[in-house]
Formats: sequence, C-alpha cells, structure tokens
Amino acid sequence: MPVSVKSVGLTRIDRHYNKGVYDLAVEAVDDALKDSGAEPSYLVASTSASLLLEPQLDLASYLASHLGLRGSRALAVEAGEASGLAAILAGYRLAISTGERVLVVGVDKLSDLPSASVHAALKHVFYRYGDALYKVGHAAVAGLLASLYMDRFGVDRETMSYWPAMMHSHAKENPYAMLRFAVKPEKVATAMPVASPLTLLDMFPLGDGAAAVLLDPQGGGLAEIASVESSTGPASIAFSEDPLWLDAVEESWRRALSTAGVNGVEVLEIHDSYTIMGLLILETLRLAERGKAAELVAEGAFTVGGSGPLVNASGGLKARGHPVGATGVYMAAEVAMQLADVFPGVKADDAKTGAAVSINGHGSSAYTAIFRST
Amino acid sequence: MSGVGGLRNVEAWRTRIPRYRFLGARCKSCGKLHYPPLKACPYCGSRDLEEAQLPRQGRLLAFTSVYSVEEGGREESPIFVGLIDLGVARVVAELTDVTDPSRLAAGIPVEAVFRRISEEDDEGVIVYGVKFRPVPGAGEGD
Ligand SMILES: [Zn+2]
Repeated sequence: MPVSVKSVGLTRIDRHYNKGVYDLAVEAVDDALKDSGAEPSYLVASTSASLLLEPQLDLASYLASHLGLRGSRALAVEAGEASGLAAILAGYRLAISTGERVLVVGVDKLSDLPSASVHAALKHVFYRYGDALYKVGHAAVAGLLASLYMDRFGVDRETMSYWPAMMHSHAKENPYAMLRFAVKPEKVATAMPVASPLTLLDMFPLGDGAAAVLLDPQGGGLAEIASVESSTGPASIAFSEDPLWLDAVEESWRRALSTAGVNGVEVLEIHDSYTIMGLLILETLRLAERGKAAELVAEGAFTVGGSGPLVNASGGLKARGHPVGATGVYMAAEVAMQLADVFPGVKADDAKTGAAVSINGHGSSAYTAIFRST
Repeated sequence: MSGVGGLRNVEAWRTRIPRYRFLGARCKSCGKLHYPPLKACPYCGSRDLEEAQLPRQGRLLAFTSVYSVEEGGREESPIFVGLIDLGVARVVAELTDVTDPSRLAAGIPVEAVFRRISEEDDEGVIVYGVKFRPVPGAGEGD
C-alpha cells in the first residue's frame, strides 16, 4: 500500500504580527486533522529561519505539547530553504518503515524583525566560511547567477520579468498566497534593486506561515506519494563547473522519476526564491532548453493552456510566499490538492502526476517529491 | 546587533589563517584548487588535500550590486560582489575600491587585497580577509 497524503492544512502566508510560531503551526494542524479523526504517531516539524531569529530548540516537542499530542514521537528537520521537503522525505520514510501515520508540520516566521536582521539570518543558507562571510545578505548569489545567465545566453532583463508576472497572476487566485495582486512584467526591472540585475519584484516576500500534511500508510486521501528523493550539491557556485546547471536538482529529480517510474509530471511546484532560480530549475528539469526558460514563460508555456506542465499554480515562492522552513510542506500540500482537484486556485486540468522541487540557496541540496492521483 | 551575523571572536581567530594568507587547498587526486578550503575536494570528493596559495590576480566573471544587505552593511550599500576566475580556481568575494560602478564588467582584471570584512558590535571582533578590487589603471575590460 503506498503512503498517501491523507489531508493537508495551510495558513495564509502573511505578516502575522499577532501570531507566533505555535499559533500558526496549531492552526495548520487543526486544519489538516479536522476531518481525519486519527492521531498521528509521529510528528516531524520543519523550521529554519526562526531557529536564528526567534530561537527555540526541540521545537517539535514543544509543538507536540501545544497540540496535545502527549507521548508522541516528535523530531525536527532542518535543511535551510529546503527544510519543508526534507521533512516530507523524513516523514515519508518513517511512514513506510513503521506503518504509522506521520504528521509533517512546516512553520517559520520572518516578519517579526527588521528586514536587515532577516537578511543576516537568511544568508546562512550559504556556507558560513565562504559565500556568507561578507555582509551581503541572502540575494547576492542569485544576483551573480542572474548576471551570468543574461551574459551567457543573451537573455534580456525584460524577458525574465515574465516569471514574476506569471507568479503573481497565479497567486491572485490562491487564497493562501501572500501577494494576491497582478504585476505587469514592465514594472519588474525598474522596481527597487535587490541584487542587480534582480529587483524586489524578482524576490520572495518576507512572510510567516505554517503548513501541515498528514501522511498515511493505509492509503486514501488526496494523493499518493510515488517517491521522495534528494541530493546534495556544491558548497558554492564557485565550485561548480557550470553554476547555471543545478547538479543537486538534476540528481534528486532523476532519482525521484526513476523510483516513481514516470517520465515527467503534469503539475509542478518549484523553488523560485528569485526569478533566476525558477528559470534555472526549469532548465535543469529539461522543461526548457538552456537559456530559453524565460522565453517559454513569456509565451505562457507553464500556465493554464500552455505546452508545458502547469508550474507554480500557487504563485510560487515569489507570490504565494516563502516562510522558509514551511515552504516545502506548502508545495507538497498544493500538489496533492491539485491531484485531488481541490486546489482552491489556478487548477491543473485532470492532472494525474505532480511534483514538488525544493532547494537550499544556490542548490547546496535539492529535494524532489513525486505524487500521483489516487 | 542581533548577533545572527558574522563570525564569533574565537571562531574568527581560529579560522583566520586561510583568510589572511588567501590559502586554499589542492587536491592530490584530481589536482584542482579550491577556496575556502574544505576537508574534501569539491570536485572529486578526495580527502587527500594539501595547502595551496591562490593567485591574487584574476578576472571578473560576473558581479552584482547588493542593496538588500544585512544589518551593519546599510551604510556601505550597495555592496559589490563578484564571481572571480583565478585561472586555477573560482571564488565568490566582495569587490572593494569600486570608485566607478559603471566600469564593473565581466572580463575586467581584478586583484586580491587584504581588508576588514566585518565588525561585530556585541563582541568587538573585527574579521579580516580577502576582497577583490578592479586592477588600478587597467582598461575598461574586454
Ligand atoms: Zn579532487
């Protein structure tokens, strides 16, 4: 019997000044468990930036206390920006090996401190004694990659701007998204610069959120998990022969497809912390030729009615939001909802297979989860 | 300052030598150099490494002007960062002495200089290391 995503619960991503980590996590879990009745045996929590911003060690146990899950088996998973999907991997393996239900909860809070403090914390997704040594915040590496990309493939700034425009047009329909408004591509290049050539409209917003997914080895529910895989990548873009090709993404994707026994998927959620990361993942997944992803996005290939799979119907990290440690759990929940035809936003028509692809930073690690409809 | 930022006092002291001398590692198995030195070769995974001096001259492969900087960096914003090709290795480093940002371009020659990298108020530790600057007097780049 395959492990299934029995139910999911999401909070809207926002600047929740009146809610803390536990408030958000409990809200998401209540939403996920409201119909299922049964208590999980395992709680796998995932959090990342909050570990530096509002430190709490052994978060999973304290969260179990808040949930009234006394005596449950609880542990936390941390893998930077990929924490959420790493927690899904851990939870999935636990569910397979124990035959017990596993509740995966991702939660993170980025809005309590000034953005300069958040950037100081977030830069630690990069190597502490390397790329994170300088006072460059989180965006510098994405700026370098975007600059390399435009140079190497002759892609112009305006073409890349169709990515955030597509993300906002999707998020507009998603009730859980943080930024539910349209953005015209021509506004992107001239927005506030973040790390040239990238602007604020190429970057995820700093928001808070929690997502919960109940994994059930008895099957049923929204979707089945066909595989969850991962791979590590280089410690720096400087150590990659070709930093515009994401080795960890390629390997985690290859492993996941092979285990699932599929050649591709119809609906996808991918990691687009910055426009460039979304484009590089599309190319590494071979959904676009090298240097052509932005052009395909501009042509509408990855939205409803396009030639490719539906990508980031949620609005992506860019517009749904990126509460760091929770993001991968959002992705898994969204793909499962798509396959059950209950996603409350832009829908993939009758999709039978879907995937979530999450990375940390420039791709120091990557995770892929593949789902199929029940 | 919240203290989530830079290196701690003892940590900065312990890790100073590679930063002060721009020392990387050479892999005895595949011959490649890297910086900062890891305990295994990032290219082939071999643990058989030896200390190696990195060249101080290179070319800029890409650069970015960073505005969304962290606390303690606001007054210096934008901070310029480069991906630099040293021939035998590539490094990511802050660019300094950029008097005319319009002259930054892929291909221009850059050189390593020893500079203050950060200063942590809560412990008073000053971290020094290598930054790169456009080679003074060199042309516009090619
Ligand atoms: Zn080697």
